[in-house]
Amino acid sequence: MSYELIALFMFASMMALLLTGQRVFGVIGAVAVIAALPLWGTGGVEIAFAQSIKLMKWYPLLTLPMFIYMGYMLSESRIADDLYRMFHVWFGPIPGGLAIGTIGLMVIISAMNGLSVAGMAIGATIALPELLRRGYDKQMITGVIQGGSSLGILIPPSVVLVLYGMIARQPVSQLWLAGVFPGLLMAALFVVYIAVRCRIQPELGPPLSREERDSITWSERFKLLRAGILPFMIFFLMNGLFLMGITSLVESSAVGALAATLAAVFKRRLTKEVFENTVRKTLGISCMFMWIILAALCFGAVFDGLGAVRAIENFFLGRLGLEPWQVLVLMQLSFLLMGTFLDDTAMLVIVAPLYVPLVKALGFDLVWYGVLYTITCQIAYMTPPFGYNLFLMRAMSPPEIKLTDIYMSVIPFVAVMLITLIIVMLFPELALWLPEQFRGKLQG
Amino acid sequence: MNVVIAYIRFIDAFNRRVGRFAMYLIFVLMGVLLWSSVTKYAGMPALWTLEAAQFVMVAYYTLGGAYSMQMGDHVRMDLLYGGLSHRRKAMIDGISILFLIFYLFVLLYGGISSTTYAIEYGERAHSVWRPYMWPVKLIGTVGILFMLLQAIAEFLRDILYLRGTSINHASEAGL
Repeated sequence: MSYELIALFMFASMMALLLTGQRVFGVIGAVAVIAALPLWGTGGVEIAFAQSIKLMKWYPLLTLPMFIYMGYMLSESRIADDLYRMFHVWFGPIPGGLAIGTIGLMVIISAMNGLSVAGMAIGATIALPELLRRGYDKQMITGVIQGGSSLGILIPPSVVLVLYGMIARQPVSQLWLAGVFPGLLMAALFVVYIAVRCRIQPELGPPLSREERDSITWSERFKLLRAGILPFMIFFLMNGLFLMGITSLVESSAVGALAATLAAVFKRRLTKEVFENTVRKTLGISCMFMWIILAALCFGAVFDGLGAVRAIENFFLGRLGLEPWQVLVLMQLSFLLMGTFLDDTAMLVIVAPLYVPLVKALGFDLVWYGVLYTITCQIAYMTPPFGYNLFLMRAMSPPEIKLTDIYMSVIPFVAVMLITLIIVMLFPELALWLPEQFRGKLQG
Repeated sequence: MNVVIAYIRFIDAFNRRVGRFAMYLIFVLMGVLLWSSVTKYAGMPALWTLEAAQFVMVAYYTLGGAYSMQMGDHVRMDLLYGGLSHRRKAMIDGISILFLIFYLFVLLYGGISSTTYAIEYGERAHSVWRPYMWPVKLIGTVGILFMLLQAIAEFLRDILYLRGTSINHASEAGL
């Protein structure tokens, strides 16, 4: 059997086994070792365990449990609740204002944690019921929360970019800085969409009534601004110390985790239950990630050994005779397509190792591609039938939000994300300017 | 039959304890990294922190793996699987988990061979601190072994369920 055929067979059997619903890490790992044994004989047995050493030596991965911990600490202890009220009061008077305020809230939460789960939890449990009560359109706000919380993986810190950095061998600090402006651009486009839509159809997002507005005094409004102090301090401790070059990337993640814990203590929200849930869920999610990465590294090593990447490259460039740009667009399209039905975590660790070497061979900047890749992941998170955010949303939202609402709600936000993706593709400087300013000045 | 039930119960309880221990290693990890930044800021960076943190991380996810399997945290692609009855799930899982067990078995084999090599030749890391490699490899291998024992327990649980005996996870029973 030729190597290409083995590679194809590996991919097909992986997809088939994934459909049985077995745990993703087990499927990926099993296909990899089953392919490795006949190819390399007894040497193939060692490949699986050797990956654990490779995984261990990849320093930035230490940030993963720290950021997961931080995200759960923020969402379980509900220290962002006050922040929500601040946005609520300040943005309430304009049409669609509460939805715009929710996007603002999501940006701040995204700047404090690396996954979408914290934003989702706060959005679905606090913002969603409140906005429903105010007569906001349910599809509109469901989309706002899903789109907004997905910013968590684009605005630094970002767990997805940490994983991408491992695969693409790019410094994580550069990748994170590259995510800043595209993330803010996407948030701004969300706001524009909401504002325009609510101007045309005011019934979708009614502003706060005059009586209610008058019932809040200006001194109260300014007092509410204090809610922003705590997140700002967490943000500064974590990112500020890192950008000033005092702490390394990994150390900053520990500082951030400590800061989130102290904030919860300070707010008197660190109950026994919050502590237990945070620590247990952190273990569960970290283990899930680590075991999948371990298996995927093994899969990738076998795939590399087969020369599968070169085969794909030859196919695109040689046989189809395409320009690099056309290949890039094709890759993003296939990535989006796969993202709609492949499990997100699996996609992250299986598809990226195939595409990244190709992008490099085509001569594109891997930091820039990291941003494109993350935006594509964000879209994949939100598109049915598989979407991490879709499942979270269904689990967390009140019963009047139906699955069809959730599915329908993402359409305009996915469109906005696609627009952002295209803008970043056309103007790479948007992503690359900021990391250029800090190149070589940061640790990790 | 009773032996099988006793095995499942024992492994569940055992791995739960191990996992509950591993769970708190997150604070050890945090402490090591914070110590690293403090000593660096004070101008005398500790040389051991990076590797120590990496070792703690290995212990964290390997020893915690089995407990996270009990809690159902390892994601599945549930497009088809999610909508099935409990009985169908047990049937399909009982077969497909054999793949997972095989993978863990190969991992374990590699782990044992790598650990014995490290012990025999006194393998050390290439760094200033130069720690011995066998302790971390041993922990990793033991973690994989526990994971394998848990996977076998899951397999037996599926089989027992199909034969009419339902044994819930300890965590599901609210323990």
